[in-house]
Amino acid sequence: MAHVLIADDDADIRDLVAFKLTQSGHQVTAVEDGMAALRAARENTVDLALLDIRMPGMSGLDVCRELRATAQTATLPVIMITARSQEADVEVGFAAGADDYIIKPFSPRELSSRVTAVLNRVER
Amino acid sequence: MISAGIVRGALLILLAVVLVLGLLIVGNRLVRRHRERRRERIAAPVRGSLLQLLCAEEDEQTELLNRLAETDRRTWAALEPTLTALLGKVAGGARTALVRLYELRGAAVDAVADLSSRSAARRGRAAQVLGQLSHRPAAPSLCRLLADHDPEVRLAATRALGRCGGPEAVSYLLEALHGPRAVPPAAVTRALVSLGPEAQRSVATGLEHPQPLARAVAIEVLGATGVVSRTSEIARALREDPQIEVRVKAARALGRLGMPEGLEPLLAAVRPGQPVALRMVGAGALGTLGAVAATGPLAELLGDPDRHVAATAARALLQIGPEGRAELQAAADDSGGPAAAQARAVLAESAVGAARDDVRAEVAL
Repeated sequence: MAHVLIADDDADIRDLVAFKLTQSGHQVTAVEDGMAALRAARENTVDLALLDIRMPGMSGLDVCRELRATAQTATLPVIMITARSQEADVEVGFAAGADDYIIKPFSPRELSSRVTAVLNRVER
Repeated sequence: MISAGIVRGALLILLAVVLVLGLLIVGNRLVRRHRERRRERIAAPVRGSLLQLLCAEEDEQTELLNRLAETDRRTWAALEPTLTALLGKVAGGARTALVRLYELRGAAVDAVADLSSRSAARRGRAAQVLGQLSHRPAAPSLCRLLADHDPEVRLAATRALGRCGGPEAVSYLLEALHGPRAVPPAAVTRALVSLGPEAQRSVATGLEHPQPLARAVAIEVLGATGVVSRTSEIARALREDPQIEVRVKAARALGRLGMPEGLEPLLAAVRPGQPVALRMVGAGALGTLGAVAATGPLAELLGDPDRHVAATAARALLQIGPEGRAELQAAADDSGGPAAAQARAVLAESAVGAARDDVRAEVAL
């Protein structure tokens, strides 16, 4: 079981991802903006962060850069969530230090598999 | 001279208007927030079942589907905006489950009826739902909605037709480009592209449309969807169409189609004397086409008096590959002048880009 942090300003997506990951046996912390995500990552022992790229205020990319710049969270695995129309963001996401990305629309089952795959990669 | 009393009175009226407007805005927001919270409260008891359905395996869905389909009208109305939004956000088994839920509830039939609603919001939402459900029988009604008096509804109908329309929707979409109730060309283009290969024969009829905008959109769609069988007609449009916007779209499409027949008309389009916009797009299209035979004419354009044409030609040479790069290097090694400057600038940009790609590859690995 891992502790997964989800940051997405879209309540439907946030709830769906949280539900699926809880169902898969993970502990979940869900927040709706970048600042709260950063706080949660620093205050808790998080094993993986799922960040929506486009969030008002601090974007997922900014959060990822901040996480990488802090020693405590520098190696935290990060998966970015982006819409199909913003696929150009993927490249920028990798440059910001993301480990993987998920494109909306996505299947909850695929999302869960991606989370497991990234967690397994880190454990190895 | 205006008396102080009149000025004071005018200021007071202005202040009152600002205050009333402010109150109206705040009031409107409060009402909206209240409605949203009420909707969330009504939908809350079934929201868990909905999330469970979206995450369930196929053999576990039936009971959940039945339970959700039997919810009362009030709860369904509160849940529906969430369902519509989720249709565009989830894929795979979750999306299939949502579509089945709509079918069980008979929501597609309700949405078709809502297309004639007096409320523009309902008409728009109904069009959105029918598009998301790819409900083909609704296409004729959606075609009629392209002439709706509300621009948002016209846009929703256009998008929906892109998802559930067929060849018969093409002429309606092309007609929707004109008149006082026009739909933005970008939306029509996207819808026509989404219709897929079966509609491309109908799109090609747009090449003969009397309106230049319809011809331009048809050409763009044929180029974007790679209908190479129409290369000669698009080449003719580049050579002969009286409208510059159509010729520009034809040049871009010929580059995308990548057929050898596109080379000669494109080379003619970049010659001096042609409109600058056409020469620029033509030069770019020669790069996209990737024909080695275009390197000589593009190299000549490096010294073009119009710096935009010259810069586009330089980038096009780079796109062509080693032969184009050799032409750029030769121009850069030359003693000087605008051609050498353009070539050096593009080669330097390319070197920076390559270094950035190396860094990205390292990060990705």
